[in-house]
Amino acid sequence: MRRLATTLLSLAAFLVAWKLLTVVTGTPDYILPAPEVVAERALRAIGSGLLWEHTAVTISEILLGLAVGATSAVAVGTALGKSVVIERVLSPYIVAAQSVPILALAPLLDIWFGGGLLARVLICALIVFFPIAIATMVGIRAADPLLREMFRSLGATPGQITARLEIPSALPVLFGGLRVGVTLAVIGAVVAEWAGASSGLGVLINIADQGLFDTPLMFVALATLAVIGIGLHGLVVSIERRVVATS
Amino acid sequence: MSPRRLLLPLIALVLVLPGCLPSSSVSEPLRAVKLLLGFRPDVQFAPFYLAQEAGYFAEAGLEVTIEHSADVLVLVADGRADFGVADATDVMIARTSGIPVKYISTLYDRFPVALIGPAGTVPSDPAELAGLRIGTPGEFGSSWHALLALLEAGGLTRDDVTIRAYPQFNQVEGLLNGDVDLITGFRSNEPLRLEAQGMSVDLLTIDEVAPLPGPGLIAGDELLSSDPALATAFAAATLRAQQTIAADPQVGLDAAVAAVPAIAEDRETALAVLEATIELWGGEPGAISGFIDPAVWGPGYGALERLGFIDGSVPPGDMVLDVLALPD
Repeated sequence: MRRLATTLLSLAAFLVAWKLLTVVTGTPDYILPAPEVVAERALRAIGSGLLWEHTAVTISEILLGLAVGATSAVAVGTALGKSVVIERVLSPYIVAAQSVPILALAPLLDIWFGGGLLARVLICALIVFFPIAIATMVGIRAADPLLREMFRSLGATPGQITARLEIPSALPVLFGGLRVGVTLAVIGAVVAEWAGASSGLGVLINIADQGLFDTPLMFVALATLAVIGIGLHGLVVSIERRVVATS
Repeated sequence: MSPRRLLLPLIALVLVLPGCLPSSSVSEPLRAVKLLLGFRPDVQFAPFYLAQEAGYFAEAGLEVTIEHSADVLVLVADGRADFGVADATDVMIARTSGIPVKYISTLYDRFPVALIGPAGTVPSDPAELAGLRIGTPGEFGSSWHALLALLEAGGLTRDDVTIRAYPQFNQVEGLLNGDVDLITGFRSNEPLRLEAQGMSVDLLTIDEVAPLPGPGLIAGDELLSSDPALATAFAAATLRAQQTIAADPQVGLDAAVAAVPAIAEDRETALAVLEATIELWGGEPGAISGFIDPAVWGPGYGALERLGFIDGSVPPGDMVLDVLALPD
């Protein structure tokens, strides 16, 4: 209850500061709309179905990208954590993929994979992959060597050591990577939509900015993305609390 | 000596000194002006490069800085830039949305966007577009307005075709890949790029079917009310550069290469693009006037209203100010 009150108070302070800024500077709505203008525009976008139409697309891209990116990142991160040879072979490629700006790579992926949902999910997965893979690798390596030795002495197979010791002990770090990954997934979906899409919140931002000159609608799309990011982050934190406490 | 006794000789010196100096040192300083362009540096902007380099702007009393932004209309309206280049159709939508900006002089006499496809596959009747896959940057800008206007002219809607978005303006690659049947593009650019890749193309242009006004110079309301002479000077210097380039495209190409050296990498294509662009300006130097033609603006305004982009609350007369027609 106290936590909720703090959050609401912080939100109210933010809205008041925003409103004051628009009043004091006298900035027109097409540059910085006041909060009530954005709220009114949000209600219209919700009422017409416009916001949900685009939000549903972006959420599906985020969830699929996250699923593909996180699954492959945990698998690769585990392999990197367990084998120095694999790390030596794969690391340069993984770091290189991370170093190339996704904004530059996205249009190429869009063309190579013929556009559509597949290309967007891959772009989203690519941006999610790195922090989760590295977190998994670090977590796997952080397993207690004495416990590992004990597992071996008790006749545990490598698979059992990974499943029962290394992955559970990697969970706190892995969830750290996931927390970063979910917020990057939101960015990944928007970047993917900017590379080529007909709907989604990234597309709505483009339409509002370049097509309709509707700055309040842009703010509505941006706020929706922020809410999705906060919601997903909260979900990961909540799962983390339960899973890590159990393990 | 008291401060007052010191002040008097100083004032006298300030008053007398200008008369003793050569005239050039007391001539009017150039007025700093910022021009915003929405596309990357390109040969199509040769008039601005030429007007800078040949001193047309300076002769008009202007020192012009060129910058690029995706938000030309908003930044010009807000006074963060003095002038910009924008699509007339975007000005109609922005003005209706309450953004205080006006179209002040025509740069493109003909609407530059066309539907482009492999030779022999482009319908001449817009009604035959039904069922085709069309690549376009997205639901914004002149390409989108032209596509919807063409579909409307053929009795079709967007639901009668499959539209694929290329927000990075890479629809040429989509056409070459076979992902789409037709693309929207500038008549002076994409056809040349496709032909350079070995694809001969045909075009479905909009001029005869559903005329729309082309891109032009824009300025904010505040500047236009406070200093309309500045807008006239800027538009006139730009027009002079356009006419010079129309008479000798090589002059425009040289100016563009000097401003953007990367253009020299493929001078032949750049010259072809510039020559095609000159055709869109109006062709002959005498035909390039900057005139804002009500005969095109009227039907264009009507088309955007029918398509739902504008609600008719702001009449076309409030969206334009023909600065070249203003009295001296």
